[in-house]
Amino acid sequence: MMERLKRYFRPEQLRELSLVFLIALIFLFFGTQIEGYFSPRIFNRVTSDVAIIAVVAIGETLVLLTRNFDLSVGSIVGLTAFAVGKLLTFHPDMLPIVALLSAIGLGAALGLLNGLLVSFGRVPSIIVTLGTMAIYRSTLVAYPAGTKNVVTNDLPQWILDLGRVQLFSIGEFNIRPVVAGALVMFVIFQLVTSYLRFGRRLYAIGSNPEAARIGGLPSERIVLSAFILCGAMAGLGGFMFLVRYGDLTPAAAQGMELQVIAAAVVGGVSTNGGSGTMIGALLGALMINLLQQSLLRWLVISDFWVDALLGMLILVAVTIDAVIINRLRNIWSQRGLETSPVDEKKMIEEESPDA
Amino acid sequence: MAEPILEIRHISKSFDTIQALDDVSLDLYPGEIHALMGENGAGKSTLIKVMTGVYHADEGEMLLDGKPIRVGNSVEAQAYGIAAIYQEPMIYPDLNVAENIFITHRSRGPIVNWRKMHQDAEKILAKLDVKLNVREPARGLTLAAQQTIEIAKAISLHVRVLIMDEPTASLSAHEVEQLFKLTRSLRDQGVSILFISHRMEEVFEIADRVTIFRDGRWISTLPRAEITRERAIHDMVGRKIEEFFAKSKGQRGELLMSVRGLSKENVFSDVSFDVYRGEVLGFAGLVGSRRTDVGLALFGVEPADSGEIILDGKVERIRCPEQALRVGVAYMTEDRRQIGLTMPMSITSNVTLPMLHQYLSRIGLIQRRGEEATAEHYRERLSIRTPSVRQPVAMLSGGNQQKVMLSKWLNTRPQILILDEPTRGIDVGAKAEVHQIINELAAQGLGIILISSDMPEIIAMSDRILVMREGRQMGIFPREEATQEIILAAAMGQDGDTAEAL
Repeated sequence: MMERLKRYFRPEQLRELSLVFLIALIFLFFGTQIEGYFSPRIFNRVTSDVAIIAVVAIGETLVLLTRNFDLSVGSIVGLTAFAVGKLLTFHPDMLPIVALLSAIGLGAALGLLNGLLVSFGRVPSIIVTLGTMAIYRSTLVAYPAGTKNVVTNDLPQWILDLGRVQLFSIGEFNIRPVVAGALVMFVIFQLVTSYLRFGRRLYAIGSNPEAARIGGLPSERIVLSAFILCGAMAGLGGFMFLVRYGDLTPAAAQGMELQVIAAAVVGGVSTNGGSGTMIGALLGALMINLLQQSLLRWLVISDFWVDALLGMLILVAVTIDAVIINRLRNIWSQRGLETSPVDEKKMIEEESPDA
Repeated sequence: MAEPILEIRHISKSFDTIQALDDVSLDLYPGEIHALMGENGAGKSTLIKVMTGVYHADEGEMLLDGKPIRVGNSVEAQAYGIAAIYQEPMIYPDLNVAENIFITHRSRGPIVNWRKMHQDAEKILAKLDVKLNVREPARGLTLAAQQTIEIAKAISLHVRVLIMDEPTASLSAHEVEQLFKLTRSLRDQGVSILFISHRMEEVFEIADRVTIFRDGRWISTLPRAEITRERAIHDMVGRKIEEFFAKSKGQRGELLMSVRGLSKENVFSDVSFDVYRGEVLGFAGLVGSRRTDVGLALFGVEPADSGEIILDGKVERIRCPEQALRVGVAYMTEDRRQIGLTMPMSITSNVTLPMLHQYLSRIGLIQRRGEEATAEHYRERLSIRTPSVRQPVAMLSGGNQQKVMLSKWLNTRPQILILDEPTRGIDVGAKAEVHQIINELAAQGLGIILISSDMPEIIAMSDRILVMREGRQMGIFPREEATQEIILAAAMGQDGDTAEAL
């Protein structure tokens, strides 16, 4: 029986299940605390925000799996949102698809730079992206022409609509395009990480970089691809950010990298690489954002404590990971080898020549 | 006999001044288990690295099926069908067993067909007569199971020459038996296996032919039937003795330290010895004999689980290095680059680092002058060759770095100094100097524990020699009785005189 259970549920899945449980708990708790908590308005707010974080977290997860960090995603989101916003301000006739692709392309180019420095420059990723985080952010401030900010009034109507229309609705609850987009990305990358050779090699490299090198995996190219994809997803996130907010200052999406990494880590993506899933990252994003949004509306505690609570949540998640999950893993697997029986008696005699 | 698969012809390889391989030739035939033996530093590891493309030979060539090949890296080696399995398997803990076998395959397409991969993995494991759940992650599998995965990986890559580098070092007897079964079944499928082991009885059990290296040179290759323990040991020892300052027969002083039944689970067990003032106690043994672990336990880095350390008649439980230093025990590591010295810092800073609290002014600032006086003192005493004690240690030669490391621990004023491979990787001149320093220190009344893999060195320098094998103490031999043959026989586990000969 136990063996059966062990085969079907792995510790990682238990963690995801407990996240679902926790999210439900948060949801129910704040339902009793906040008036109109189950209203479509709050639902739309939360899902739109989660969508952006989730898309960027999916990209970040690809990089984390390879035992690297990308701290520049917040700046990439800000820069692409800003750049595309300006682009649309000056060329309002631009086709929506062109605007979307230029956001993704710009993000990918910024990710390419990160990736080149990490995999071929051999600079630790945390340093590279700490640098590019600041550089990308400054580029945004220095972006020439006209006013410093992107203003809703200057943007074409379609982009404003995109943030409000409902794609379809379930009862009173609308599913907006950004949310649908995030779900599509989630499905795609869940498939990439579980069914593509590329995806599995991300896990291999993060799991044991030395073995990957000796085994002849093209580690540099794979890590570079992870950074490009992460940049592209952050570019998409930037486009969604523009759609969601419209008005942008140069501080747009500042600090988002921390939210994104927090989402991935709470969702069970290891910062040591090699383990974590897209569903985990998505649940992590949902949980962090739901908690954040709920706490901001909860009048019992001051806004200032929201960040502290989130910080504690991250520490708890990581500690649980270190203590409980590792212990569970040990219970799950402590298997040796089974072969056809060897003559035990003969072996014992041979083992003790100096007895 | 059939044609050889792989012929190694006149391979030489040197690092700086050290000739690691000197004109080595070896033939590997299909369907044979060829054992390679030799002391530490005989060139076995270098040969493996040349064969797998990690190193490139200075001279000589390799022929595969009679045609010369150039192996540039491990991927090319794989393509030629040459693969190696190491003592510590190269496993991806987060991937499952089947993925571990196939992750590096190039021919399986960009989309993972999980069902087929699991089936293929099961087929290979069935061929090896092994049961492992291929869907289970490799994390947490026993070392033996991980090695089996590596073997399965090699088979899936159609390996023709499989190098096994001390694969049994961390396995239990039962697991060794299973590994041997696997190895034999591979041989019977026509694979050529190069089997490296320090365990004499294992080599005699499994090998078809045995080759012995010494000092980077080929010494002999004999069929299993023609080789005896005595012959093997004879071929392995007899390294030429370089210039030594043999230990001057000093006066043995009072008892400094007694160690009784020192044990650490799964590492070493029941180690007992005494150290006297003015004496050098040698620790001999091969790779994996756990000598360093005993040193680390005495210094409190990795404390022992049980047993007694008695200093000055008092039982001390040494739990951390600070405490070890307080009771007068210092340990100089074998790994000077990684953990022995802080390379970018000056000689002065390195020497005073463990005792920095003695160089503080009343308000807690470090007094440079005092530090430099100490550094100058040791520079003169150990003749460290440097333009200034402010020089970063990274700029010094290996021998001088070794002397800085010695100064650092001498400055802690120890009663007992544990030296782990104090002459590894330094040139002959510096080596002689270090030997002289050891002699002087002993004459001044220190008790010295000398851990060394250099057989002539340990015989020339020690008053008594403790031999270890796989965490067990095989005996203590007084200098008069110790010959290279006796020490090696004990280190390799030949039934020898294991009595405490104090």
